[in-house]
Amino acid sequence: MTAGSARRARIDDGLNYLGLLAVLLFFGIPLLWILSLSLRTQEDILVTTVNPVPASPTLSNYGEVLSSAQFPRFLVNSALLSAMGSLGAMIVAAPAAYAFSRMVFRGRKGLLIAVLALQMISPLVLAFPLYRYFASLGLLDSIPVTGLVYVAILMPLATWMLKGFFDGIPTELDDAAMIDGATRWSAFRRVVLPVALPSLTAVFVIAALLAWAEFVVPFILLSDPSNLPISVGILNFQGNYATNSTGILAAGSVLAIAPAILLFVVLQRYIVGAFVAGALKG
Amino acid sequence: MTTASATRVGRAARAQGGGRWSPPEALPWLAPLLALATVFFLWPVLNVLRLAFTDSTLLRDDYAYTLQTFEQVLSDPSLGKVLGVTGIFVAASVVGQLLLGLFIALIVQRAVARKLHGAVLVRSVVLCAWVMPGVLIGVVWQIVLNEGPFGLVNSVLAETGLAPVSWLSDTKLAVVSVVTANIWRGTAFTMLLLYAALHTVNRELYDAARVDGAGRLRLLWHVTLPQIRPVLLVNVILITIATLNTFDMILSLTGGGPAQATEVLALRTFNSVFVSFNLAAGCVFAVFLLLASLLLTVVYRRVLGQEER
Repeated sequence: MTAGSARRARIDDGLNYLGLLAVLLFFGIPLLWILSLSLRTQEDILVTTVNPVPASPTLSNYGEVLSSAQFPRFLVNSALLSAMGSLGAMIVAAPAAYAFSRMVFRGRKGLLIAVLALQMISPLVLAFPLYRYFASLGLLDSIPVTGLVYVAILMPLATWMLKGFFDGIPTELDDAAMIDGATRWSAFRRVVLPVALPSLTAVFVIAALLAWAEFVVPFILLSDPSNLPISVGILNFQGNYATNSTGILAAGSVLAIAPAILLFVVLQRYIVGAFVAGALKG
Repeated sequence: MTTASATRVGRAARAQGGGRWSPPEALPWLAPLLALATVFFLWPVLNVLRLAFTDSTLLRDDYAYTLQTFEQVLSDPSLGKVLGVTGIFVAASVVGQLLLGLFIALIVQRAVARKLHGAVLVRSVVLCAWVMPGVLIGVVWQIVLNEGPFGLVNSVLAETGLAPVSWLSDTKLAVVSVVTANIWRGTAFTMLLLYAALHTVNRELYDAARVDGAGRLRLLWHVTLPQIRPVLLVNVILITIATLNTFDMILSLTGGGPAQATEVLALRTFNSVFVSFNLAAGCVFAVFLLLASLLLTVVYRRVLGQEER
């Protein structure tokens, strides 16, 4: 490498850092600002300043949020719905994805495309008729029933991603197990699923994150405040606190975002790989 | 891939040859998926189509079949405005997410290759925005752009001696704000896809082009982008569908205001039912959304099919 091109590369590195910094600021500052507001007293919030470090930091906003009657309930409901939805979606999607990956049957390709088409349908479209239907059956405002709807809207993506992963596992594995006398089902359960465990984890986490963020379905099918997940409950919260207690709203937002971000950061490596594989194959 | 599936087909054909008909082996494996798809997708979609041709409301149970709702929706003078805002919102968001996502993918890839610091941190922060619930994104940006003393952007403007800007109460700026927040939210997806795609680009072509004296932008335009074209196309379609169906973020950011300036099609659909209680009108809008998504899905399959050949 000549001296000129080495200098050129160093200048490029500088520009590269500048770019990274700009991106970091655009995406990071709104989150940092909310965190900063959540630690301020009401008087501090009303002072116009760009300094993100609060003058007199306080945790009282968090205390207020967690001692409110509804907020902790919202978080628990979100966790319940996410767990039900993503677990259910895995249970439904894994055998289907295995069949799509390993078996030959008429209409296989058409069916796969149909599953993809399901993914494109907005839950908003589905929610209106379901509201009417559940109302007539007296099934509104039930967390388990809403959880079942979560399963349905998460399963197309889970099926596509899992199919991609199963395609990457050599069929010789199941064949060998079946030659040894195992049924297809036990080959699937005892051989394929354990091998696919990292991918199953990734899909599960992605489904749980999507469930945590789901808005339309719980908004329409649940109404009692004690049943609402955080994605809907925060709207009530915004209505109650927006004008005169922004610090409390900010603290609520931090608490609502934190579980998703924690889960995501811990398992980021799996998720990034899985999402790219699934989306590229889709 | 093709040979593997060919042998699989051959094996299955031999296995099926000459036997009595029995239910396909795959049926029990697919049964739960098919059952849920029927109850929670097929049935509701058929009902949306049916209810669009009624005068149904949330306020009473009975309804009659009529074409009036369609006529009302189509002759509503504000429909043009809604479609216009939707067009601007979708186009600006898609272009913004695509350009920013490509930019981040490129600089993160270069930073990783050169072993610069901070690339993973940047990627993680971008992805954090993406895993947040939409309503919360609206809440966050509502605070950041607020015209009160705690609004970040106006505080920065005040610090530099500039007059505050009404980001959320001016009809034109509100659209800019909504688009910005949506770019903030959705760019991560494009970044992920394009970052993966960039790894598939043939490095030798770069060296060849560099020997020919091509500059950086020409390299990007003539070497990199053509090679990741299929992923770019798929990406555009997926983010178009996602943006078209976005309204939760707008709900908490501007509520569709001021004066309906940010009321996109999905939000109008939602408002028809839950503000005006007009279920039939909501279903008419839902049919529009469904048609748009269907059209994009068909294009998506075409694109994928073409690239596979």
